[in-house]
Amino acid sequence: MSVSNLLENWAQVRHEHPNNDKPHDPYKWAMAIDLDACTGCNACSIACYAENNIPVVGKERFQHGQQMHWMRVERYWDEDGREFPDQGFQFLPMMCQQCEAAPCETVCPVAATNHTADGLNSQIYNRCIGSRYCSANCPFKVRYFNWYDYPTDEMVWPAEMQQQMNPDVSVRSKGVMEKCTFCVQRLSAAKVKAKGEGRIVAEGEVQTACQQACPTSAISFGNLVNPDSRVHKQWAAQQVELDKDKQAKNEEEEASELRGYRILEELRAYPSVMYLERVRESAV
Amino acid sequence: MKDIREDIAWAKINQDVMKSLENPRKLYWVILFLALAAFGFGVGCEIYQYRTGMGVENVNNPQVWGLYIATFIFWIGMSHSGTLLSAILHLMHADWRKPIYRFAEAMTTFSLMTAGLFVMVHIGRLWQFYYSLPYPNDRGIWPNFQSPLLWDAMAIFTYLSSSVLFLFVGMIPDLAIARDNMQPGWRQKLYTLLALGWEGTDRQWRNFRVTYLTIACFLIPLAVSVHSIVASDFAMSQQPGWHVTSFPPYFVAGALYSGCAAIITLFIILRYVFRFETYMTLPILKKIVRLTFAIAMVWTYLNAVEFAAVWYSHDEASKAVLIQKMTGTYAPFWWGMIFCGSVVPLVFAFKRFQTNIPVLFAVSLLLNLGMWLERWMIVAPTFSHGYYPWTWDHEQWPSLVAWGMVFASFGWFTLLFMIFCKVFPSVSMYEVKEMVYHRTLHLKKSENAEQGAH
Amino acid sequence: MSKRHLLALYGNFEEAEAVVQELRNATIKGFDVNDDMIVKSPIEHPEVERFLGDKPVYVQWFTLVGALLGGILGFSLISGAQANFYMQLKGGKPIVPFPPNFVLTYEMFILGGVFITILGFLICAGLPAKRSPLYSTKVSVDNIAILVEADESAISELKAIFTKHKALEIQEEAGK
Repeated sequence: MSVSNLLENWAQVRHEHPNNDKPHDPYKWAMAIDLDACTGCNACSIACYAENNIPVVGKERFQHGQQMHWMRVERYWDEDGREFPDQGFQFLPMMCQQCEAAPCETVCPVAATNHTADGLNSQIYNRCIGSRYCSANCPFKVRYFNWYDYPTDEMVWPAEMQQQMNPDVSVRSKGVMEKCTFCVQRLSAAKVKAKGEGRIVAEGEVQTACQQACPTSAISFGNLVNPDSRVHKQWAAQQVELDKDKQAKNEEEEASELRGYRILEELRAYPSVMYLERVRESAV
Repeated sequence: MKDIREDIAWAKINQDVMKSLENPRKLYWVILFLALAAFGFGVGCEIYQYRTGMGVENVNNPQVWGLYIATFIFWIGMSHSGTLLSAILHLMHADWRKPIYRFAEAMTTFSLMTAGLFVMVHIGRLWQFYYSLPYPNDRGIWPNFQSPLLWDAMAIFTYLSSSVLFLFVGMIPDLAIARDNMQPGWRQKLYTLLALGWEGTDRQWRNFRVTYLTIACFLIPLAVSVHSIVASDFAMSQQPGWHVTSFPPYFVAGALYSGCAAIITLFIILRYVFRFETYMTLPILKKIVRLTFAIAMVWTYLNAVEFAAVWYSHDEASKAVLIQKMTGTYAPFWWGMIFCGSVVPLVFAFKRFQTNIPVLFAVSLLLNLGMWLERWMIVAPTFSHGYYPWTWDHEQWPSLVAWGMVFASFGWFTLLFMIFCKVFPSVSMYEVKEMVYHRTLHLKKSENAEQGAH
Repeated sequence: MSKRHLLALYGNFEEAEAVVQELRNATIKGFDVNDDMIVKSPIEHPEVERFLGDKPVYVQWFTLVGALLGGILGFSLISGAQANFYMQLKGGKPIVPFPPNFVLTYEMFILGGVFITILGFLICAGLPAKRSPLYSTKVSVDNIAILVEADESAISELKAIFTKHKALEIQEEAGK
């Protein structure tokens, strides 16, 4: 009976995550992106399209803003009145931040998006009814909706292209929401393999598609719980803590020299992606 | 001016109202036909959208909500005045409610049904709609009770069913009258069935009074909670322009406002179409107009509070959204909302317009236009100027399909409402009798008092 | 002894009240004024209740039970369902969060209250009812009717009272 279950596990059902909670164990997938290394080449975005069977919607749909790029490379200009504004060009690869307390999760009416045990923000396509509330409440706007039936009606993958699709990733039909999964199909495969061998996934054993494709290694990805992982070392070096909405280093009187930051941290979504600020000419 | 003549024979009340069930003016059929045509157009749009995908609404990836959500709020809002006013005025023993509450409650019911339709129209996978219902299943999967959308569903279900019951219970004595006066046929059978064998015995009236009062008491907090919950859809989110503490009262005021304006519109239409001039009198209209004016001012005030709160909060993102509303793409609509919502109702302050039917008709439509714009201005601008700069250069203009659906919703509402008014007595006969009776008693009492004084 | 019904119509409430008073004061064998008399009126008359004396109404107890049941059921069902949500964890919120559950409990409270009140109304008012043996459609216009049920022997006496007070019409059930 569910009510007795409720009473028995009272403490467990009342705990909050990520504050007042034990950290994820043994996995917490996280990322660090070095904007200084990013050249804006869009290889990550292309790799993501290929890996995750993302439909290429075509010019017209793109103009309507109905594009599906899970990983998008944004461009920003410095507005300091310099002679060549292009010199102040900056790139920011943006994808789902896999928030620890994701605003999208609480608002989904059918619980199609949830927090997983290894710290991902999952999306269940079969469960989604397409209310689009998750996207409305996403501060980063990294969720993409299938406005049309791309695989069938729109024929974005002609017959000869279907051979190159990734068999590990389902193709989404119209009316469901989708977003970056941190290449969850690779993560599960690695986890299953490691479990069979009685160990946990080691550093470097699994890579996301974007990380793999990045020519400058701007993206590092791994298990934040594992102290040997590059991502853990980067987060530690930059003194960015996962379950804080204000980092201690920023509270000090003297401005921190460290480059690590998370986007819109003050919204208390606790994103799992840390960005390393670009070293600006003006700052050098 | 008195609300109703005290010398109307009770038999005439029966006659007049019963006549409305059979013999309305020709305009009725014109309205019905137009409504049907509009609704048919919307059905076409929905079939196209269902088959093609939500993209035909012309919404896009940062701007995932559009006209449908705005119109959903509009209809929910419209539903508020009917039952809420009926219940409040009932508790306050305001007799002037009696000739108009029936159609106002019907308006509540049907605008809720229209709003429910927009939930369906909005979701991407209509065929999986039942996932959002808490039905027991083998997999132990439940909907997410934390989502304000689920609260919405629950609140709307509660409100719709309670409103229908309130409407029905209040109508039982009238159904008995209809049963007694109707020619034999399917309608008499229908009334016989629905009247539940009501004969007006003392036992029935005694329980009726308590029941009606109890449900009225429940409906007031319920109606307030329903629109507060709709406001929570926005206020519970994190988005700038939505995450506003004053949203629930603001929404409730807006709901009452558009509902009252709709009552004025429908009052004028019904009065003409069903020849209800004797019952839906100008003094009653004047009272509603004054009430609407008061609510309009409350709404204006809450608007000002919201803007001031945003302005002085130094919440940069919210401030940017507000500035964007005033000066950006949406500026014409935003200023249209301010004009229709806050300036136009000032007409109501002039006594000579308070009973001028053509002016009131036009103004009430303008008010509702303003309230519809308000809902759109709540939904849309936040998407084009949210926290994240990537969304800033996106624009959105609803497609013909979306406009068609909005247009059709008016057809659907009018269709249901007009059919209701022809099938069921839209003026409460027994309560108009009570009103006449109370007035007679009152006159008698004051006469006696006068005689005593001499 | 077989019982028969008698229905008298009156044009206004003062007359009807006078009749009821007289029926009350008179002791007629085979007729109990509290059980065997029904007053039918076209509108809700507080006066009718006054001259019939205090009769209890129980609908509000249904309301109380319904509202409490609705609330308790709502809260426990929702929290119970959520307690199965280990795989449906929402970051930043406990598995069983109170504020949303209170909102839903509030709605269920009202839903239960309204539904059970209606049920109570139907039970207490005896609806849906079979039509009583004597009924005049004039009651649904403007007449007030007094329906009595009495032994054969008392009928004539009752009829006399009705006629004395100038009944507009007296209907009598055909004898068996």
